[in-house]
Amino acid sequence: MPQGETTYVVVGGGQAAAWIARTLRAEGFAGRLVLIGEEPHWPYERPALSKEFLRGTGSVEAITLLGAAQAGEAGVECWLGQRVTAVDREARVVTTADGRSVAYDTLFLATGGRARRLPGLDSLPAERVHTLRTLTESERLRGALAGAKHLLVLGGGWIGLEVAATARALGVEVTVVEAAPRLCARTMPPVVSDWLHALHESHGVRMVTGVGIADITGTADGVAVALADGGRLEADQLLLGIGIEPEVGLAAAMGLALDDGILVDAQGRTSDPRIFAAGDVARHPSAFARASLRLESWVNAQNQAIAAARAALGGTGVYADIPWFWSDQYGVNVQMLGLPGLGTRAVARGAPEAGSGCWLMLDGSGVVVGAVAVNAARDLRVLRKMLEDGRAPLPDAWADTATPVQRLPSRPNVRAD
Amino acid sequence: MTEWHDAAATDALSDDEVMGLSIAGVPVALFRQEGAFFALHDLCSHGAARLSDGFVENGCVECPLHQGLVDIRSGAPCSAPITEPVRSYPVRVVGDRVEIALDR
Ligand SMILES: Cc1cc2nc3c(=O)[nH]c(=O)nc-3n(C[C@H](O)[C@H](O)[C@H](O)COP(=O)(O)OP(=O)(O)OC[C@H]3O[C@@H](n4cnc5c(N)ncnc54)[C@H](O)[C@@H]3O)c2cc1C
Ligand code: FES
Repeated sequence: MPQGETTYVVVGGGQAAAWIARTLRAEGFAGRLVLIGEEPHWPYERPALSKEFLRGTGSVEAITLLGAAQAGEAGVECWLGQRVTAVDREARVVTTADGRSVAYDTLFLATGGRARRLPGLDSLPAERVHTLRTLTESERLRGALAGAKHLLVLGGGWIGLEVAATARALGVEVTVVEAAPRLCARTMPPVVSDWLHALHESHGVRMVTGVGIADITGTADGVAVALADGGRLEADQLLLGIGIEPEVGLAAAMGLALDDGILVDAQGRTSDPRIFAAGDVARHPSAFARASLRLESWVNAQNQAIAAARAALGGTGVYADIPWFWSDQYGVNVQMLGLPGLGTRAVARGAPEAGSGCWLMLDGSGVVVGAVAVNAARDLRVLRKMLEDGRAPLPDAWADTATPVQRLPSRPNVRAD
Repeated sequence: MTEWHDAAATDALSDDEVMGLSIAGVPVALFRQEGAFFALHDLCSHGAARLSDGFVENGCVECPLHQGLVDIRSGAPCSAPITEPVRSYPVRVVGDRVEIALDR
């Protein structure tokens, strides 16, 4: 069949979907290209939703990845505001909730994730309760913050903390409640949790960690949260930042192999060789981690999508990035490399806790598992190159800021299993 | 006529190094590659990041914020997420000084 008649379909209208479509065209795919996304918006990037956009200094245009003009020019047929409800793998047909359908030769699943909610929330006044995943939710939260005095954030992860920082910048009082004993405990070592805790307190955030929620109720002018330790908090707005669930419903119904996400190989291929997946929904084998990982990060959504699109066109490259993530809070740029949460020993270069420096994280056997940089992007970047080459700086030399990272003495960095 | 601005001493940079400068109020990233000098506008075309804070490798500078690559010699975008070129400025060496022209 000539390629002109080949049809590639991308399910999901987010960052990974946009990069799949862009890459297919950039790499010369000349067939029909259909992108189907549930949100009404043109594919956009989410990071600003808790930062500039929420604060009111961003714009839809600035975060749009594949706008109308670009899609038209590149020949990407975008079906926006349409949810894919079924995929028949035998007939190779995708069907939407509206009953539209399209046959595919190759299919991409980039369905991302949805914000987790708590049972019982539906009985609360809807205008007081927020989750933050979409542009629409960010606009709604921004509107709510404009009139709010006190925001209660449930969940001390990255989204919750970024919203806390933005709300403070908008002059809103903020309390963060985290059930775990420390912030970002799932991905960060204690030294980083402690620093984040202090950073937020220094900006006037009230931190409550290690305390669960017993009950949430509506009040006349807001919400009230009963804490498991008997305490009670009241606020006029509530943000739930308790993570996401990968959007695997469709893939499950299709019978694809799953394990907290859609299982893919290093090229993004699922258990069906005609179907690829990328982004927050995909779990891929990581050579660095020596395990499979499902990452929820901007760079992963971009680069895994690019790799999957190239593989679908016959490319032989694999996705082998070392995990990387960034966050911005109070004007501080934090970057995470590798799996710092696995580290048990932290060695500081500079003074990260004071706003500039980088923690190198080592496991019990002295192997570098990751790093966290505070306003020190370049040091982290040089470290990334070293780790990519299978080496790591000697921990005792790491603190020597007089020597650039690339000239620090190094050694092989190999994990024993 | 082109107006040249004094930027730096030729020995201020080694190969594969970059420095951030302000020339007549314009932020400029000055690079040295294989003994030759190149200047780019010191602002990523993707966001609010200084390319002079970036990482230089294989003729490209990697943006410190989102890892996009820009060709040091031309300012052309070389990898996602950067899609727009970064302005590049003419550079010449006069004696032991590097000079940059901002017009063009
Ligand atoms: C507020 C916020 C701030 C963030 N900040 C950062 C940051 O600072 N740094 C960082 O590294 N990462 C950050 N992230 C994470 C990053 O944005 C995500 O990793 C990235 O968006 C994942 O892209 P994706 O395309 O896989 O999924 P998504 O962007 O979630 O896109 C999935 C899309 O698929 C659609 N969809 C799902 N199911 C269907 C279906 N059946 N039919 C049709 N469409 C469907 C959804 O509606 C959605 O639009 C942030 C995320 C959020 C929410
Ligand atoms: S600001 Fe440079 S790549 Fe985003």
